[in-house]
Amino acid sequence: MLRYALRRAVWLLPTLILVTFLVYVALRLGTDPLASYRRTNIRVSKKKVDEYIAANGLYSGAFGYVRGYFQWLWGFITLDWPRSIKGSREVWPHLKDALANSIRLGLVASMVGILVGNAFGVLAALRPGRLRDTLVNSGALVGLAVPPFVSALLLQLLFAVYWQKWFGYALFPVSGVYPPGHQGFDLFLMIKHMALPVVVVAIQSIAVYSRYMRASLLDVLNSEYMRTARSKGISERRVLVHHALRNALIPVTTLAFLDVGAVVGGLIITEGLFEYPGMGRFFLVAYGNGDFPELMPWMVVIIGSVVTFNLLADIAYAKLDPRIRLG
Amino acid sequence: MRKIRKSTRLAGGLLGSVLLLAACGGGSDSASDTTAADGGGASGDAAMTITYDIADEAVWEDGSPITVADFQCTLDAIMKTTGSISTSGYDKITSVEAGDSDKQVVVKFSELYAPYKGLFGGLIKKAAVANCADISGDFGTSFNYSGTEWKMESWSADQVVYVPNDKYWGPRKVADGLKKLVMVPRPETEITDLKAGSVDFIYPQFYAGITDELADPNVKTVLNYGGDYEALYMNLGVDGKNTTAEGEKTRVFADAKVREAFYKSIDLEALFKQIYIPIAADATLLTCGPMIPGQYCPEGIFGNKYDQKAADGLMKDAGYEKNAEGLWAKDGVAPKIEWVINTGNVRRESTQAYLIPLLKKAGFNVVAYNCDAECYFQKRLPGMDYDLAMYISTAPPDPAYLVPSFTSDNIPTEANNQKGQNFQGWANETATKALHDSDKEVDDAKRTELIKTAIVEMDKDHILIPLFQFPKSGAYRTDRVDNVEGELNNYAAFNDTYQWKDLDGDGQIVIGAEQWPGCLNPVTECANSSWYVWTVANVLMPGAYRTTNDGKYVVTELLKSEPKVETK
Repeated sequence: MLRYALRRAVWLLPTLILVTFLVYVALRLGTDPLASYRRTNIRVSKKKVDEYIAANGLYSGAFGYVRGYFQWLWGFITLDWPRSIKGSREVWPHLKDALANSIRLGLVASMVGILVGNAFGVLAALRPGRLRDTLVNSGALVGLAVPPFVSALLLQLLFAVYWQKWFGYALFPVSGVYPPGHQGFDLFLMIKHMALPVVVVAIQSIAVYSRYMRASLLDVLNSEYMRTARSKGISERRVLVHHALRNALIPVTTLAFLDVGAVVGGLIITEGLFEYPGMGRFFLVAYGNGDFPELMPWMVVIIGSVVTFNLLADIAYAKLDPRIRLG
Repeated sequence: MRKIRKSTRLAGGLLGSVLLLAACGGGSDSASDTTAADGGGASGDAAMTITYDIADEAVWEDGSPITVADFQCTLDAIMKTTGSISTSGYDKITSVEAGDSDKQVVVKFSELYAPYKGLFGGLIKKAAVANCADISGDFGTSFNYSGTEWKMESWSADQVVYVPNDKYWGPRKVADGLKKLVMVPRPETEITDLKAGSVDFIYPQFYAGITDELADPNVKTVLNYGGDYEALYMNLGVDGKNTTAEGEKTRVFADAKVREAFYKSIDLEALFKQIYIPIAADATLLTCGPMIPGQYCPEGIFGNKYDQKAADGLMKDAGYEKNAEGLWAKDGVAPKIEWVINTGNVRRESTQAYLIPLLKKAGFNVVAYNCDAECYFQKRLPGMDYDLAMYISTAPPDPAYLVPSFTSDNIPTEANNQKGQNFQGWANETATKALHDSDKEVDDAKRTELIKTAIVEMDKDHILIPLFQFPKSGAYRTDRVDNVEGELNNYAAFNDTYQWKDLDGDGQIVIGAEQWPGCLNPVTECANSSWYVWTVANVLMPGAYRTTNDGKYVVTELLKSEPKVETK
């Protein structure tokens, strides 16, 4: 198992370098960082433009791209990051806050979605065609059909606007990470502010995972080896936990790791609806400005997260299905 | 809740708004004050000399005195910083020197400058910047000084927190019990936040239906008519910037006949009924040009000129023929007219939805070219990357703002080091001369005529289509905050927060902002947003004058008295 994991991990670094180089090229071609810089700083002098080119390694020509990439990479590794094109701000403090906010929101929402969704999926699969299967299926369909902006609006109206009207206070806040004016860490306030966004994201996750788990478990429960296990007289509980669930979890686990890996990319719609300053909003602002010095680190974080969680998915997959590591 | 997004542009230049925070007040005041001071005589070769006496007790937030050095630094920063958005008025200053002491500032001008009260409206603290001659790299993540009743405790993408400045010396002491003023970005949720009690006050852009959305027993909405107006603006283009996204070399509105034809193809009365009457039933079409009704508004210009037949004739005279699609084409090409507004602005999107089909029917190939407010006001507009724009200007009562926005030498190009805010590329000799002369004219009646002359030229050249004097609106929770209505009509917006009363006893007042300044530099393009001025510059920067709710100048506590003005 360890050898398998190491073998996969060895590929992580070259994959990261290759993908970040491709992203670097794509960003330079797609956003034209120099033109964006000029657009954002309309009255900029030639001297400042030259400084920007040098700081970001925006050299022209094929060799210029390679040279520029390695200059950027070295700067990234040594934490000598160029400043943002708007306001000349340090990128890391802002990115770090956005990343922390998105990870917090995304992980909690994913955990809720995975746990609750899988539980519902199991419940439905154990009684196919019965009332609770119908309820879970119908609920999942509704959850999938209701877009986040609708559920967000309804939750905001119910738990904030009308609650305020009925009881004189809002049960849950509708925006931000903390109440306005708050500074420092406060777990309770943070959880309170995350409640509604987490529910909005989790509604869809629960629906997706319940459908996946139900289908996967039904597939396993109807397989021949399950009949064999039962015919050997193994208890139904043991059949379910040790044989059925373990196999049914394989595809769901892959999906879960990929989902968790993607959460650092931000939940753009949800973050917008709740004025939540996460990676999604960071990206939208940076992309809107064509802010190359902000976009590249953002991309690296996203790529790093996706690649890492892909690796973890592979390892988990191998752990759950020993045939994988033999292949 | 419906999404709204305020998107105004401060007429007269952002620098004018940031550093000319007090650039308001009637022109008559300005002129008469200058005349009254004529008894003196400008010293040396200066055409005009102004002597400011700084209050002895005036200090920065660290207790250091505000002195002539800060005036000098302000001038340097505005004139020399890369990317300074407007140098209007400051470019006439030849020197800023100490008088009897470093608390006396003697400013000499190369020529008369009637709207001088707009100068030094927001001082830059010399000790707060490394090099006054280039502050473009300063103010990245904080505004590290204050000369007002508030000082910044923290700023981030999530909120700005102000606390009382305990070194503040003036009369605007923060109300008892008020410990924090917090502003938070709420572009998407401001009404929900207000109704949920997460914020105490919002300053939303008005649109049809907003009063219904704001209906709540604990919310009060206040409506005033001040210096805001909305109009359509045509970009004539300029060398080096007159290319469209498709690479066409000439802006379609460079041709005066096309502009006139376009104007005459819009039935403004019908448009007004469609868009503005639902907002204010008794509203009337604005006909003053880039100006609200008042002494500077010429009569008998602009207004509804709808005449499709005349418009068709003008297009033919300009060399256009209708193509198979019924669009005006020249040399086989039907030029696109890129109409930019900020996405999410319901009223402007409705205007596009209403007008674009009608204009296409009239033969104009108008297409929406929208982007968010930041992109619109800080990129496309100053980059002159549009053909047609629709926005609200927040104009001070003094018409000095017309100079950087409508004179030919203020079209930002490489040749003039990107100076000015004439983003339409309009170059009219008569108007330019009249506007520049108006800056030098101290006689109020003559100055008014010069302003009118320039506006009449705008009408003749059909460079804009004025639409509506736009209401200013504020909404607040009556159970959380009180005494907020005093300055809502002020050019400087909600600038009397020091006297707002915190009713719920939490020691803070929270303002939900429709836009958020992406950066804090008071001189560069960062300041090209009314929300920057309202949420940062107004709050922290001391100046010589400030505006009042009824559009007057008043000298601030920074000075001992009205400055002494001497002219040759």
